[in-house]
Amino acid sequence: MGMFMIIFTLIGGLTLSAQSSINGSLSRKAGTIETTFLTFLTGTLFLALFVLFFGRGHIPGLLDAPKWQLSAAFLGTIYLLLTVLAVPKIGVIAANIAGIVGQLVIGMVIDHFGWFYSLKIPLDGKRMLALAFMALALYFIYKGNKKGGKNPGGTPKSSRPEDTFTGQVRHDV
Amino acid sequence: MRYLYYGLALLAGAALSFEGAIYAELGKSIGQLETSFYNFLAGSIILGLLWLFFGKGHLPHVLRAPKWSLLGGLLGVAYLTSIVISVPYVGVGITMVAVIVGQMVMSMTIEHYGWLGSEKSAVNKEKILAALSMAVALVLIN
Repeated sequence: MGMFMIIFTLIGGLTLSAQSSINGSLSRKAGTIETTFLTFLTGTLFLALFVLFFGRGHIPGLLDAPKWQLSAAFLGTIYLLLTVLAVPKIGVIAANIAGIVGQLVIGMVIDHFGWFYSLKIPLDGKRMLALAFMALALYFIYKGNKKGGKNPGGTPKSSRPEDTFTGQVRHDV
Repeated sequence: MRYLYYGLALLAGAALSFEGAIYAELGKSIGQLETSFYNFLAGSIILGLLWLFFGKGHLPHVLRAPKWSLLGGLLGVAYLTSIVISVPYVGVGITMVAVIVGQMVMSMTIEHYGWLGSEKSAVNKEKILAALSMAVALVLIN
């Protein structure tokens, strides 16, 4: 079950990347707040249909739910607004990587302390090592991004072939 | 100035982790699909207000924009629903790592081909190494 869930969530990540690219391009013309608003509005419409046909939960339970649980809506809003803002400026990968660092640190902390009644998973040696590998991954992708000659926020340009790389690190990215 | 946007993206990720953990709890009491619905409904209200008071963009543009560029909401629904379902089974940390691997692979693919209106940026050795490191981390955490 655990492995199935991991694959399932992996697909969730795919959709998130696609979303940030799509929204990034829409926001260049429609605006940041407008794009985020549209995303939430269309999401609400799709979910209204899903809930009507497949919902087995209890929507009126919202009125009895603790307010701290309901306040998570602000977090979702903050996430989307900031992502829509960042993608056109620094590019899809950079925005996602920076977001990832924030997610990882907080995710591990939440697991370690078992906050919000989540599954309590202590930050042991293996998780520390995992953190090191993630830091390594971030380093590689940052370096790879520089090497790719990225010009985020500018007009799309064709990628520079890798073999023209001169070995110099660009400081303007 | 660019560092500001890195910082904002960092903050966005932190918000996402908190959101996942909190909604997992809400999902237990009112249902997972219902939790996603609540998130998008409340988000629409919050952003509707923000738009009314602070919107400086051009909302009517969405009527002329290519239809695929309006699908962000549907993708957000898929993402959030998968998170809310998986957190109670495997914990926030593993859920986030799985999401991350998916995100990294997809970001690379999108930028490599310049899909979805993004800027083209070729996959290179470093980016592949980064994805491998993430895979090792995922195994370690599990």
